[in-house]
Amino acid sequence: MPQDIRKWFLKPHDKDKGNGNGSISANSAPSNSEPMNSEPFRGGKEGSGRRKTSKYFTAEKKKLDDEKGKAELPAKRKTQNDIDDSRKSPRSRKIQKVDDNDDDFVLPNEKRGSSVTPSKKLKSSSGRGVAQKSVHVDDGEEDNVKDLEPPVKPRGRGRGGRASGAPAIGRGRGGGQGGIMNFGERKDPPHKGEKEVPEGAPDCLAGLTFVISGTLDSLEREEAEDLIKRHGGRVTGSVSKKTNYLLCDEDIGGVKSTKAKELGTAFLTEDGLFDMIHASNPAKALAQDDSKKSVENVATSLPLKRSPQKVEVKSNSSASKVACESTISRASPVKKKKQNIQDSSLTWTEKHRPKVPNDIVGNQSLVNQLRNWLAHWNEQFLGSGTKQNGKKKIDPSAKKAVLLSGAPGMGKTTSAKLVTQMLGFQAIEVNASDSRGKADSKISKGIGGSNANSVKELVSNEALNSKMDRSKHPKAVLIMDEVDGMSAGDRGGVADLIASIKISKIPIICICNDRYSQKLKSLVNYCLLLSFRKPTKQQMAKRLMQIANAEGLQVNEIALEELAERVNGDMRMAINQLQYMSLSMSNIKYDDIRQRLLSSAKDEDISPFAAVDKLFGFNGGRLRMDERIDLSMSDPDLVPLLIQENYINYRPSSGGKDEMKRMSLIARAAESIGDGDIVNVQIRRYRQWQLSQTGCLASCIIPAALLHGQRETLEQGERNFNRFGGWLGKNSTMGKNLRLLEDLHVHLLASRESNSGRETLRLEYLTLLLKQLTDPLREMPKDEAVKKVVDFMNVYSISQEDFDTIVELSKFQGHGNPLEGIPPAVKAALTRAYKEDSKLRMVRAADLVTLPGKKAPKKRIAAILEPSDEGIGEENGGMLADSEEENSSDTEDPDAGNGEKMQKELQSLNSKGIEVQVELKGSESSSAKKKPAGRGKGGSASSEKKGNSGSMDKKAGRGSGAAAKRKR
Amino acid sequence: MSFAHEPVYNNKAPIFPPLLLSAVPQFLFTLSQVVSFGKKMLWVDKYRPKTLDQAIVHQDIAQNLKKLVTEQDCPHLLFYGPSGSGKKTLIIALLRQVFGPGAEKVKVENRTWKVDAGSRTIDLELTTLSSANHVELSPSDVGFQDRYIVQEIIKEMAKNRPIDTKGKRGYKVLVLNEVDKLSREAQHSLRRTMEKYSASCRLILCCNSSSKVTEAIRSRCLNVRINAPTEEEIVKVLEFIGKKEGLQLPSGFAARIAEKSNRSLRRAILSFETCRVQQYPFTSNQVIPPMDWEEYVAEIASDIMKEQSPKRLFQVRGKLYELLINCIPPEIVLKRLLYELLKRLDVELKHEICHWAAYYVTLCIVLP
Repeated sequence: MPQDIRKWFLKPHDKDKGNGNGSISANSAPSNSEPMNSEPFRGGKEGSGRRKTSKYFTAEKKKLDDEKGKAELPAKRKTQNDIDDSRKSPRSRKIQKVDDNDDDFVLPNEKRGSSVTPSKKLKSSSGRGVAQKSVHVDDGEEDNVKDLEPPVKPRGRGRGGRASGAPAIGRGRGGGQGGIMNFGERKDPPHKGEKEVPEGAPDCLAGLTFVISGTLDSLEREEAEDLIKRHGGRVTGSVSKKTNYLLCDEDIGGVKSTKAKELGTAFLTEDGLFDMIHASNPAKALAQDDSKKSVENVATSLPLKRSPQKVEVKSNSSASKVACESTISRASPVKKKKQNIQDSSLTWTEKHRPKVPNDIVGNQSLVNQLRNWLAHWNEQFLGSGTKQNGKKKIDPSAKKAVLLSGAPGMGKTTSAKLVTQMLGFQAIEVNASDSRGKADSKISKGIGGSNANSVKELVSNEALNSKMDRSKHPKAVLIMDEVDGMSAGDRGGVADLIASIKISKIPIICICNDRYSQKLKSLVNYCLLLSFRKPTKQQMAKRLMQIANAEGLQVNEIALEELAERVNGDMRMAINQLQYMSLSMSNIKYDDIRQRLLSSAKDEDISPFAAVDKLFGFNGGRLRMDERIDLSMSDPDLVPLLIQENYINYRPSSGGKDEMKRMSLIARAAESIGDGDIVNVQIRRYRQWQLSQTGCLASCIIPAALLHGQRETLEQGERNFNRFGGWLGKNSTMGKNLRLLEDLHVHLLASRESNSGRETLRLEYLTLLLKQLTDPLREMPKDEAVKKVVDFMNVYSISQEDFDTIVELSKFQGHGNPLEGIPPAVKAALTRAYKEDSKLRMVRAADLVTLPGKKAPKKRIAAILEPSDEGIGEENGGMLADSEEENSSDTEDPDAGNGEKMQKELQSLNSKGIEVQVELKGSESSSAKKKPAGRGKGGSASSEKKGNSGSMDKKAGRGSGAAAKRKR
Repeated sequence: MSFAHEPVYNNKAPIFPPLLLSAVPQFLFTLSQVVSFGKKMLWVDKYRPKTLDQAIVHQDIAQNLKKLVTEQDCPHLLFYGPSGSGKKTLIIALLRQVFGPGAEKVKVENRTWKVDAGSRTIDLELTTLSSANHVELSPSDVGFQDRYIVQEIIKEMAKNRPIDTKGKRGYKVLVLNEVDKLSREAQHSLRRTMEKYSASCRLILCCNSSSKVTEAIRSRCLNVRINAPTEEEIVKVLEFIGKKEGLQLPSGFAARIAEKSNRSLRRAILSFETCRVQQYPFTSNQVIPPMDWEEYVAEIASDIMKEQSPKRLFQVRGKLYELLINCIPPEIVLKRLLYELLKRLDVELKHEICHWAAYYVTLCIVLP
């Protein structure tokens, strides 16, 4: 890292200008084919260099070394670099820096030459920079200005050249960014991180368009994209005529390569790309002759490169504003500059607000639609001019109002205003800052005061608008802005708006962000819906470019596209960002935008998978803490779950190949996940939400920080991307099983033969129960076995579902099914026997217990209840037979009773006998109440029931209503 | 492994006002001996002592309890001891001693209570086992909301005096299982209830470890420690059962079962019967089948011993999930895993692994 930054300062604006200028201008002419390329040629000179106190440098150096250590660069490499640097410093190498304003910071060459290697200065330098500027600018400015001239021109040319190609490219698609989910399917680069990434002239790839296909040799796709963009190239998603190169290391014969072959697009390997970049850097080429090693060392990986740039840009811009100004003034017409100064009080968003509808970025068709609607409004709804009010032809699909919707910053309000203005309407804007409550019904009071009333008046009073002399009084249009913001204070606002629309004699334009908002549900029916879409990044970049040019800002188009992409379609935000950046720099490059917007990017939805990918990803270790928190908080439920599911799969980049190290890191991560769980319990159970950052630190950030690296598969056939948290499903299975176990438990308790707890039941009884239930089926003759098992089930009130539960709970992965070896015929016989038996037998207490969570009681139980009553009542055989017949019909569809819930209550209400109440409830009202407990009081009950049994049974069978039947 | 996911309780349960336990006349749907299946029951239930006099192990405690309830008023009781030592059996026998055979006529209820907890109402579902004179419940079943069970429901039950006290005991009994799993809040709520309503209600608490019951509760109860039966006692019981069942017991077989049972009588009887189901007549070197889940844990242990790699870790995690899915409580899994690992590990590692096992078991029991 240090060497990069140092290079910066090595960079040439050497004081012996004659020489420097000579070389630059000499080189810039021939390098027209690569327009932006002129700068690099500044090598070979040791500037006479101003001496600078090295106080800062050494301090910075130390800091960087620390950083470097953290970044886990091998220590040995660092020292090597130092040596290399000292060796090669004379061949000052240039990096992206285009502006030459940083002469101020050029290091004394003598110093560089020594092995002390003073390093660079960082952002801290701004204050100092200014101070120094005062010293240096004086003598340097003039020269600087001259100095600058040559590079500026080629740059301009380069841009022009690119611009022509730009719009055509990739209009269809927003570049290959959307690949995150696919990303997992792609293999990792086979030699990931093993090659040195070259660095070349910042614009060496300018005007070239690349398409990346398949897996590259050493770069992740994102890295390659970044590399290309950084060097001024463009990356698109699919091959087209404009594509210059298809970047791929293996011909996988996909759509892209087929198409490329068709179009004759050149194929480029990763090495080829590197060579191109290398080639752009003559200084480096020179170095290569000398010492190959040093070149390799200099070429550091991408992220490392970024920081020097930033440093440079910052120091540059803040320190040498004067120089900048002069640059600008030369690059752009003088009068423009003046204008800039005049308008400087306006924000750019206001200043560059579209003046005509055609200026609006994107959504032109919607704007036209809006214009047509508005233009025809009067004929449509007022029959203006014709006076044939009676037979106005009203297009049924025509709406009296229009609803513009779309995310903020797309120009909805602007469009509405522009269109109205253009058509000569007078816009009356009502927005969220106005009270928009329901109009006072006593409108007779006049419009005084209430805004809503005045809206009503405005809308309904034709006289105010159309009947007036048009020349004097323009027609009015009501623009209701932010209608989805009508809330709290605006009671009845939407309803009132609808009423207004119905009676309106003027057009109404409603504007909202979220068309699907609940509040607007009724409104959308009365409006013509126009949904604004995000403008493409090319459209936005074009407009931004115009603005930048108008403001005298040097921006490259790739950078603007990046900006457009980052703000997620929000034009307003893009302009604001641009203005903000213009304060500190006059030349904005791709990396500046990247850097800046990383922090201030608009919140975007990020899927938990993408978040986990990033946390564990190849540069997960370089994320800032707030980014990590943002990522983990993007879904505080799922992200920890995904982390927990996948952390074992990562080979930590810090651990190398050492398995022991990896295991111990995994252990630490697991420990931390466990801690996170404890915190999570506190959060959820005791609502300690202030702990949520602690929780996400423990459950996401620490594990990811420990283990980020390369993912590898642990199972055969597993796809190498993050699995969904398996525990979620398992937890619900566990919940289900617990419930089933509880059912079984309740049944066992109800049988009153056992008294154990649920846990004991699972841990100790279950094995034996299973054996008792299945072993006979396997070993004994069929009939005997079935009888034995059914008897056993009856003793313990084990129902068929419980049988299944027992089997289910005894299943372990990798072990055989407990039912193995039981012939299907025997199973069928068992089922039959059990059903048969349950028809005959008396009701069991277990059948009467309502089970928690079981919403589908069995009709069978309803049926069974009957004979049981009789059994208790000691009824005679005849009665029993009768009811049995009925039972059998009822039990034919034991499963059909799903929607029903049987509630039975037996209550003794008087001393004389018993009144039986059977309640059948719909399943909604289901559940445990008072259990049917009960036998009546012996003999007295029996006589009562006798007569009732038949009818009761019918009721049970009928079963759906919630009606409680009472019988005598 | 995540233990933070609480079981989700069903919110759809209809809303009933809390039922007053004894305000509504109870008509037990008594099924006493409607079914007499005789021999088909599991031995562990079949040979469970029904009265205090029948107890084979802990005879001394049984006699003391008998004296306690016959000669004087019954205080609150706290039974504690390892599982399979006979706490529940003693409690049931005690209830029978106090209330007569009626105590056996229990009904099972799955009841829903609607509890008003400040801003929201909580529906609680709990299975209770009740007779005319006692109610048995496991408040810890509702998880972390057990506090409401104690504060609202138990209090309500305790408040209401039995209606018909003529000729009977003037109190009823609440049997609370697994009090050691009650949250601290619930235990605190319990202690006032114990004092305030002691005139009409006695509590019998039952738990494995008294150390997790707060001092305040312990001091309000008569603590009854039920030791795990010795192996000799277990052998005695097994031989008793064998005799009743008319089985031929090879010499030493019962002793082997007893040894394997970890001094849990229930375990011993259950595995005894498992052996019986598996193979009869017995042979003295017959394999005593382990519990299904124990077998699985042993498998995990040998997996762990074979290889320590991320891949193996992943597989082991899958197997642990499997155990959890099958409703084996995590702390039991950890305990068993430790047991299995200790059998296989080098001596010098044993200490450390015990330390960590204790640490993590504590984490998963105490903290959440």
